[in-house]
Amino acid sequence: MTDATYFSTRSRAGWPWVIVTLAVLLFVLVLLAIGVGSSWLSPERVLLALIGEGERMDQVIVQTLRLPRVLLAAEAGACLALAGALLQRATRNPLASPSVLGIVDGAAVGVVLFLFVFSNEANALTVSIHYQPLAAATGAVVFASIVALLIWLDGGGPTRLIVYGVAIAALASALVTLLIVLGPVYRASQALIWLAGSVHQAHWSDVYTIAGLLILSLPLLALLPRAMDQLLLDDDTAATTGLAVASMRAVLLLMAVYLTASAVSFVGGIAFVGLIAPHLTRLLVGHSAGRFLLGSALVGAIIVLAADIIARLALAPLELPTGAVTALVGAPYFLFILIRQARSHA
Amino acid sequence: MMAARSSPTHDWRVIAGMMLCLIAAAAASLHLGLRHYAPWQVIDALFNDSQSTEGLIIRTLRLPRTVNALVVGAALAVSGLLMQSVTRNPLAAPGVLGVNAGAALAVVLGLSLFGIVSLTALAGLAAAGALAATTLVFGITLSAGRSFSPVHVLLAGVTVAALLASFTQIVLVTDESTMESLLFWLSGGFADRPLRLLAIGGPAIAVAFIAVLPLARALDVLMTDDDSAQSLGVPVLRIRLAALGLAAVLAGISVSIAGPVVFIGLIAPHIARHLVAPAHAVLIPAAALVGAMLAILADILARYLVAPGEAPVGAVLALIGVPVLIILLRSRRMVLQRR
Repeated sequence: MTDATYFSTRSRAGWPWVIVTLAVLLFVLVLLAIGVGSSWLSPERVLLALIGEGERMDQVIVQTLRLPRVLLAAEAGACLALAGALLQRATRNPLASPSVLGIVDGAAVGVVLFLFVFSNEANALTVSIHYQPLAAATGAVVFASIVALLIWLDGGGPTRLIVYGVAIAALASALVTLLIVLGPVYRASQALIWLAGSVHQAHWSDVYTIAGLLILSLPLLALLPRAMDQLLLDDDTAATTGLAVASMRAVLLLMAVYLTASAVSFVGGIAFVGLIAPHLTRLLVGHSAGRFLLGSALVGAIIVLAADIIARLALAPLELPTGAVTALVGAPYFLFILIRQARSHA
Repeated sequence: MMAARSSPTHDWRVIAGMMLCLIAAAAASLHLGLRHYAPWQVIDALFNDSQSTEGLIIRTLRLPRTVNALVVGAALAVSGLLMQSVTRNPLAAPGVLGVNAGAALAVVLGLSLFGIVSLTALAGLAAAGALAATTLVFGITLSAGRSFSPVHVLLAGVTVAALLASFTQIVLVTDESTMESLLFWLSGGFADRPLRLLAIGGPAIAVAFIAVLPLARALDVLMTDDDSAQSLGVPVLRIRLAALGLAAVLAGISVSIAGPVVFIGLIAPHIARHLVAPAHAVLIPAAALVGAMLAILADILARYLVAPGEAPVGAVLALIGVPVLIILLRSRRMVLQRR
């Protein structure tokens, strides 16, 4: 399964410029994403409103309506991409991703269960909707632990990881379908909207929470690059360079679950970002772990922001689920990688 | 795999035993439910064409759902077996490889774009969608050449399913009224399905089933690896295409009769492998019998779980299927290839 070209180390002398370009692109997209909507705001008006100048109306639109959504999309994209990057390194498998490993479907089970358990006859929630992310996180962690437990019992390699992940994801999505069918239609549509992945209900509190979770993970992420580079070697060689391979792999997987759960809890199943962002990043900046992580986070944020802009514009005034847009772009790209990888083995 | 215990006579004895169990289960399915009937009432209803209430219930409700379960269960199991054998993948199954996602997308498109409401027309659409999705997955598999590993097939299936699901979501966003019809269709089940579907689908499934049997020897050889199979004179690509085509047809017809019924295609082949020798000549009938039995038992359970209501068969199958799948995954027998 492991891709021979995955480990080739081409020199990417220009990588700092790539990172700068990505950052600039992200900034431009943020301005655009704030501007796009039922009333179009030009970038200069957006900039003015952001620094507290400009018209009062613009300030309200930008600061209470659009900015939280844009920031949430960028943060979620960064989290998912980082999680994917860590997973792909830990499993040495460029095809691993949070959604293949049952984490996203697990979170979905948590959310759907939450919606059904805590609603009364009148279809009103009996507890605050702000607990929903907690339910999602619980579901993600539970299902990730099931996958982890099965792999640990099995002792198999990265390939078995995907097999178990897909199996557990299938179980989780069967449970979700079941709960949706059993519940009232109103709840079903609410659950389906969440499942499709969307950032349209962003609140500042969500933005702060994810930002906090992301910042919490930064010190650990900053410590990881050296070990991640060692992990590119095979297990035995990595061990002789002084790396505790098994425990490092466990740390990477835990971080991946943590980051995925943080993002998915708030934005739902935004698919394929965790898979494709690291892949694109590798093409742009190469393998060295430090820039790989940094680049992945930027690319992930860019992808989700761009997808959200498309989701808002494509069928305006209707809004598509952001996750549907990333899947439409991501799935064909992933199939392309899959076919190319298989052919390169022949 | 269990070679010491299974001899041909042993296998056929097991199959005969399973057939008896299946007949018993089908008979039980006619008797049990919200109202229980005595054997003489059932016989009277079946053979004497009585116009009494119980006669009508048994003939028009119990009998159709029993036959539906039997046919669909068997078809899904054989479809799953073919997919698992051809892709050498213990997790291949109609549901995992995008069949249900394709059918769901076709149904949603039919409901929303063309305003189709007749269940028969929707069933046709579902079959077409299922076929198209499977063709897409296997087209990708084949286009990538011979080094496509089982995990690749799995990932291709999951990805295509995700792609189709996102199209479904987009249609649902643009037309919320289709949601309710979709939910009805999503639940899957054997009761209250138009008999016309069975009249068309049943014979088609029978034909596909008979067409599968001659492939048994070639499938056995294919289980080793492509090169050995080729050198033994098996036309690998042609057999693979034929088997996958039949698997897709079986799954497509099943989904059009009963909606998405999960887990049977995944689990029944594995149970069959535990019961008989790993030779397709006995595996195919064994899997069909196990699938039919699972479907009938799940259907009977569905009548009791939330009585007087009726639980979705999918729910019951998930309840049975989840633990079984985990046990299967844990046991090393899940590995298909003899190493």
